[in-house]
Amino acid sequence: MHQIVNPIPNTHFLAGVDPRVKLVSALALLVLVMSSRGGAFPLTVAGLSLGLCLWMGVPPRLFFVRFAEPIFIAAMVIVLKLLFSGHEALFAFSCFGLEIVGHRDGLAAGVAIASRIAGAVSVVAAVGFATPFTDLMAALSWLRVPRGFIEVALFAWRYLFVLFDDAQVVYAAQKNRLGYAGLRRGLRSFGTLAGALVIKAFDNSQTVTTAMVQRGYDGTLPLLRHRPLRAGEVAGSVALVAVMGLLWRM
Amino acid sequence: MKTVLIIECLLLLLATPAHAMHISEGILPFGWAAVWFAVAAPFVAMGVRRMNDLSKDDLSVKPLVGLMAAVVFIISCMPIPVPSAGTCSHPCGTGISAILVGPFVSVVISAVALLIQALFLAHGGLSTLGANIVSMGVVGSCAGWLVFRGLRAMGANLAVAGFAAGIVADWGTYLATSAELTAGIRGSEPFWPLFSKIFVAFIPTQLPLGILEGAMTAGMVVLLHRKRPDLLVKMRVIPAGTGDRRPATGAVALLLAVFLGGLLLTPHLSRAAEKWSGVDETVVEKVAKEHGREAREPLINTDRGDLLLFVFLLAGATGGFAAGYWWRALVAEKRDRRGDDAG
Repeated sequence: MHQIVNPIPNTHFLAGVDPRVKLVSALALLVLVMSSRGGAFPLTVAGLSLGLCLWMGVPPRLFFVRFAEPIFIAAMVIVLKLLFSGHEALFAFSCFGLEIVGHRDGLAAGVAIASRIAGAVSVVAAVGFATPFTDLMAALSWLRVPRGFIEVALFAWRYLFVLFDDAQVVYAAQKNRLGYAGLRRGLRSFGTLAGALVIKAFDNSQTVTTAMVQRGYDGTLPLLRHRPLRAGEVAGSVALVAVMGLLWRM
Repeated sequence: MKTVLIIECLLLLLATPAHAMHISEGILPFGWAAVWFAVAAPFVAMGVRRMNDLSKDDLSVKPLVGLMAAVVFIISCMPIPVPSAGTCSHPCGTGISAILVGPFVSVVISAVALLIQALFLAHGGLSTLGANIVSMGVVGSCAGWLVFRGLRAMGANLAVAGFAAGIVADWGTYLATSAELTAGIRGSEPFWPLFSKIFVAFIPTQLPLGILEGAMTAGMVVLLHRKRPDLLVKMRVIPAGTGDRRPATGAVALLLAVFLGGLLLTPHLSRAAEKWSGVDETVVEKVAKEHGREAREPLINTDRGDLLLFVFLLAGATGGFAAGYWWRALVAEKRDRRGDDAG
């Protein structure tokens, strides 16, 4: 978990760029990718984002791990659209007496959706790799996302790793005692593990609140303060989105 | 249908981890993604507002909600084997969070867990965050909470109510996900045939997974009741100074039968709806025609593309927002007044 969410040291060239600029640029690209009709533009964005990630020093193995699920879903969408959508037959064969027909237009629609998935996932992955979570939350706060939501997200992020380590310890102890031998015992163990996590979360929340109140917590968390936006960064972002917009139109 | 079954068999051969509960990044077109954001926003706003209200009396509410979001995140990252599908899948965990903190705060918990998953695990997505919040947060939490509270009110014990809540939360999430996915990818195809195919494609994983999630939720609630009943009292899951109740197996069986019956009948009902015309055509239009009033084009024709669906969604979102905004005036203040009168 720690390796997946904190994969690279924050020394790459994008680390110094204001998180608001990165987030807004990524959201603009996301809108362009989602509203594109063909597959060429999303795949171009995917290629650029992947190149950016490799340039930042993201290990390729990590990249494939993160892409495993979207690739699986994209493949499923292509199969569904190929077989159940469209009218123009591409191929047909008989399987156990059943006629299976693939459609050319269905395949094209499926590939378009799959390329949209690739483009969107790559953009979000690039932002995730390039920006620490706390910076992203501060940028979201600047975009007027409710403060209560941001505070809860920060609490969740802070204690995610603590609870994950606790969960691993409990899971290892259960496994060593054959807690996952058989479905019935496995379910009982899993329920116990999840219940233990809830108890730990509750106890931790009480302890954390006491500690924070003693340090002046009045119900609101201080967020990161932004420095003024740099004209160069904003101009770079506008230029990037404008170029991508032109590509999108083409 | 036979082709669907063949595809189903092929899917069963793909023994890979299935994370099918969330809609992947980029899969929805921009219009649909925006619609689901619009639908989810009032619920998240209501959840944040409810949390802020609670936080005024108890400063530990926000840290607790944050930690519950971390728990939901971890639970939904844990693979559990689904023997019938030969895959691993994950529970959604919103059933238990809705039981403990209520449906609206549970929407916030789901939203935070989904945001972290989208940013760092490519599980779900930023563009599909609204859709995933609606299916997992709104539908899952509300369905789980309603079933739990309903069964408790009918006298069910914690294990039975928790089990049913877990199942319904999971299957409700999967039903909503199927509908969102169909609406997003169908293009010019009709809605129901593709919906039924996606629905069937989910069954090998999600049907047993729902039962597993029900068992897990029941296990969690029972463990909490045994080890820390004070938690359940504080969260108002059980009243102070009362024990667990006897099981209401008949009520649960009836509820599950109605739910399963509804699921199984849905495709047939949709087919029936295609075959039989409605009362407008068979009665109103016929009588009007007999009296010399021919049907004319409506001033605003909502039978174009997804316009009608969009209008329904907009009405739902507006209604949800209004109900949430005046919730206190409708329920809480009346209750307070009643309390004052009694006092």
